[in-house]
Amino acid sequence: MIEILISPQLAFSALVLGSLYSLIALGLNLVYGTMRLLNIAHGDLIMIGAYTTFWIFTLTGIPPFVGLPLAAGIAAAIGAILYFSIFRRQLSGIDRVERIEANSLLLFFGVSVILQNTVGMMFSGSPRAYQFLDTVYEVSGLMMTGNRLAILIFAAIVLTSVVIFLTRSQYGLSISALIQNQTAARVVGINVSRLQFVSFISGFALAGIAGALVSMTEQISPFMGFPFTIAAFVVIILGGLGNIKGGIIAGMLLGFVEIYVVVLTSANFRSMLIYGLFVGILLLRPEGLLGKTRRH
Amino acid sequence: MTSAFSLLKTRFVWFLFAGLLLIAQVPSILGSYWTLIALNLMMWVAITQSWTLFSGMTGYISLGHVVFYGVGAYVVASTFNTIPLWLAVPMGGIAAALLALVVSVPVLRVRGPYFVILTFGLAELVKFSILNLETVSGKSSRLLFGTPSIEILLYCMIGLVVLATLTTLFVTCSRFGRGLTVIREDEVAAATVGVPVLRYKIIAYTISAIVPGMAGGLMALKSTYFEVLQVFNPIISFTVVTMAIIGGSGDVRGPFLGAVFLVLLSELFWTTAPQFYMILVGLFLILFVIFAPNGIAAFLDKLQISRKSG
Repeated sequence: MIEILISPQLAFSALVLGSLYSLIALGLNLVYGTMRLLNIAHGDLIMIGAYTTFWIFTLTGIPPFVGLPLAAGIAAAIGAILYFSIFRRQLSGIDRVERIEANSLLLFFGVSVILQNTVGMMFSGSPRAYQFLDTVYEVSGLMMTGNRLAILIFAAIVLTSVVIFLTRSQYGLSISALIQNQTAARVVGINVSRLQFVSFISGFALAGIAGALVSMTEQISPFMGFPFTIAAFVVIILGGLGNIKGGIIAGMLLGFVEIYVVVLTSANFRSMLIYGLFVGILLLRPEGLLGKTRRH
Repeated sequence: MTSAFSLLKTRFVWFLFAGLLLIAQVPSILGSYWTLIALNLMMWVAITQSWTLFSGMTGYISLGHVVFYGVGAYVVASTFNTIPLWLAVPMGGIAAALLALVVSVPVLRVRGPYFVILTFGLAELVKFSILNLETVSGKSSRLLFGTPSIEILLYCMIGLVVLATLTTLFVTCSRFGRGLTVIREDEVAAATVGVPVLRYKIIAYTISAIVPGMAGGLMALKSTYFEVLQVFNPIISFTVVTMAIIGGSGDVRGPFLGAVFLVLLSELFWTTAPQFYMILVGLFLILFVIFAPNGIAAFLDKLQISRKSG
């Protein structure tokens, strides 16, 4: 038992899953942080990204790395359509904040159902998969398939560049300021609604990228997104809502917890673990384990 | 102040009883296909009416009411042939209410969007817990032999509609109901003027679980088998919320209007194009939240006013 637990194989799997969770949660956090909207349809954008990559690869043989920007673009375009048709109006409404947030959740729920069933209608509900980079590399006893390694590398690149963008560039710093305090950001002359729009579509684009990566190793189906949405919720609540770096750390944490708990018990307990964490954290510390208390 | 008895004189109540009497005639006039549709319709009305009692009045949107439905179904299925049904179905409702009571204290402290996703997560957690319990005991699905006929189930379901609707009517015009409405408008102000906020929310949440629990039990008897993933399907919660919003969640007529609307829509499209039906449901939910947050009921009121003034 101990041997299994300290095996580099397991650590590698956890690292891959964790980096994927971090990436998925990053997009959700950007949208929540800047707009205070919880995007229940986030996982469905992952699904859209996965389908885009799948079809590009299956029809033309163009590798997923090349399809990835297009997946991001399509997800971002859907984000832009939703922003202008629905959410800009919601945010500028006269309702109380809590009412807007609860209503937006219902709106995203509607969006999620529409996306799932549109894809289901276009490409049938049956799962699909493709083979890409599935050669096994061995490094001192650690077996890695090329596609998992690629997920890890790509996720690391995207995560690092987003964090650098948010902490080093002026544009990124204004988004960080907006996440910290919307009123203050407005006072110092930040164009709040434009940054909200940029963050909104960036969050969607990141989901598209995550979907492209997921499609390299997992079966895709119109309803694949939901478990990712829930995992992403667990991660951003763990890391503190709107806390970008906390979310990245929490993503890695969840990856490790999930892999090791499943190995120690059985795969049947995966869903119970995720939902148990989800409910437990919301009840005990809605402000997040790593976050500090903040009320808006 | 309107008393409960003056409400009994309103036109709505007479419409309601006339309509329900008509639906009770469906088995003898229109046959078994329409009886099933009538049963479905009554089930949605009963659950949605209970949902509005809590979520419509307090503004706390529960996206996890399926958990009460599922628990009721589970109680009836697991006690089948050991406990008589006239006892098992109400026990399903009581079990659901007990679950609501136990979880309400921690859950109702959470507000806004967190409450919404929490109710959802909780329902999924219970679903997977019961699924594991059933897998461990080697019963992934249960067959129920010798269940009552569809007509009897329909009459029981009509009874649940009456129960849920009268409860909502009585609550609406009680001190308790006004307390709940104040909570929806401004919870802090409600507490300031002396509304026992937490107690009221707990009571409303618990009451709103009873009818869905019993409805779940009846529907398990209707399908003659029990499968965890089916009776805890989150689409049920989603449909209830959509029906309430389309019909009008702050109005006792809302669940009737919303349920009739969606059941008709599903009759038109569900068998031929289920995915198209779901797309329409999502679309209607979005359109109503944005353009008509008070639903068809408010639209009818507007129509009536303009006719009177014009």
